[in-house]
Amino acid sequence: MQSHRARVREISLDKSGEAQAWIECPAAAVPTPGRYVRARSAVGPDVVLAQALFAAGRKKDGFLTAPPIPVSWTPGSEISLTGPLGKGFTLPVSARRILLAAFSPTASRLLPLVDQALANGADVAIFSNSIPNDLPSRVEVSPLKLLPENLAWGDFLALDLPLELVENAGSLLGLKSGQFLPCPGQVLVFSPLPCSGQAQCGACAVRLNRGWKLACEDGPVFNLSELIHAKI
Amino acid sequence: MPKYDFGINPPYLNAAGSLGFAPRYKPEPNRPTLGALVTNPISLAPRTPSQGPRFAAYPGGFLLHTGYPNPGLSAVIRLHAAAWSRSPLPVIVHILGQSPAENAQMVQRLETLENVIGVEVGLPPGVSAAEASAMAKAVVGETLVIVRLPMEQALELAPLMIDAGAAAVSLGAPRGALPAASGKIIEGRLYGPAVFPHALQIVRSLARQNIPVIAAGGVYSQAQAEIMLEAGAAAVQFDSFLWT
Repeated sequence: MQSHRARVREISLDKSGEAQAWIECPAAAVPTPGRYVRARSAVGPDVVLAQALFAAGRKKDGFLTAPPIPVSWTPGSEISLTGPLGKGFTLPVSARRILLAAFSPTASRLLPLVDQALANGADVAIFSNSIPNDLPSRVEVSPLKLLPENLAWGDFLALDLPLELVENAGSLLGLKSGQFLPCPGQVLVFSPLPCSGQAQCGACAVRLNRGWKLACEDGPVFNLSELIHAKI
Repeated sequence: MPKYDFGINPPYLNAAGSLGFAPRYKPEPNRPTLGALVTNPISLAPRTPSQGPRFAAYPGGFLLHTGYPNPGLSAVIRLHAAAWSRSPLPVIVHILGQSPAENAQMVQRLETLENVIGVEVGLPPGVSAAEASAMAKAVVGETLVIVRLPMEQALELAPLMIDAGAAAVSLGAPRGALPAASGKIIEGRLYGPAVFPHALQIVRSLARQNIPVIAAGGVYSQAQAEIMLEAGAAAVQFDSFLWT
């Protein structure tokens, strides 16, 4: 597993008041949408656990993290990144209408998909209870409660779903028992990742129709159709 | 130098559950050099993860409630025994039998595996003295036996384990309760630097009774590991420090 030296360039607050950081790092360390890197201080452990970092924005020389970040970080902090780890989103190039929906308090982890989708010439609609910063004007933003009535518009759906809501995925999407999703989709199951895949500790275990899987190793992005108990 | 010699040099290990079923470990700067690897807890039959919230943080550490999910001994041997035999460090397999007979059955299958130098027997929280003794006696034989005790019961149970023939006792994470992010209160194992003072006190008490104890709990630096050795520990296990 590859480790990279990196540096905190800037810390800012997102619209919900959560801290996020710009990280300067080699291009190989920038996580693609849905993947994560394990981050720790380069000068020695200063926190109880390493931090799993997802990108909210990406450039060749670094990335903007999705919240949270360790409180001990300041601009200039030297950090070590391991990864990228896990399996991320695969946006179909043919998809023309992309639905992004965040059931987590922040939509940040979905935002790198916006750039990808727009680059593919797709239309993008985001459903979230927190409105992300600096979105291109072409992106439509709506409250989360409007997602079920707009599902039929999309030809690909990407969700950010906290682990504790996985059992309710179908009802959150407004699907009735036995009803199928009108389009394919993927879900980032957001969970604490205490061991970040080092120990198969089980804290991030997700029940799919092919058995129990770990978000840290097998995900955190899964196909929506694998959540059988969501009846979709 | 540690008072007891288990052939583990340096006298540092990972705690069960901290490095997976086929532990791989490469020391980095500010990380300990280990003398042996301990597997994740393994039961005879497969175990699924616990339901509901499994993680809660607090300022001095965090709580885990995972149910020790694992695919069961047969699957673990099939998947990982080859990696154990190739490991540059000797391997200690942590077993989680539900009864003395289960533990004996598991040890029988493990003691012939290459590079497996012993077992660590995990005891459930709240285990009675009689049950604990029976668990230990069932596995004592040719192989190195370490019994991992619930930290809260270590002072009571440790002498019984040594009398039963265990080579040493180790300390399991203490238990606690915390509200998860959802507000629901969950119970589970406590990790993090806040555990260290409690663990050190227990290690000192056991060492004064000449009980071989493998220290564990909140060890977050090499300096703290050395303090444990100076307090009389035979060896030291690192747990969530390896996840920082």
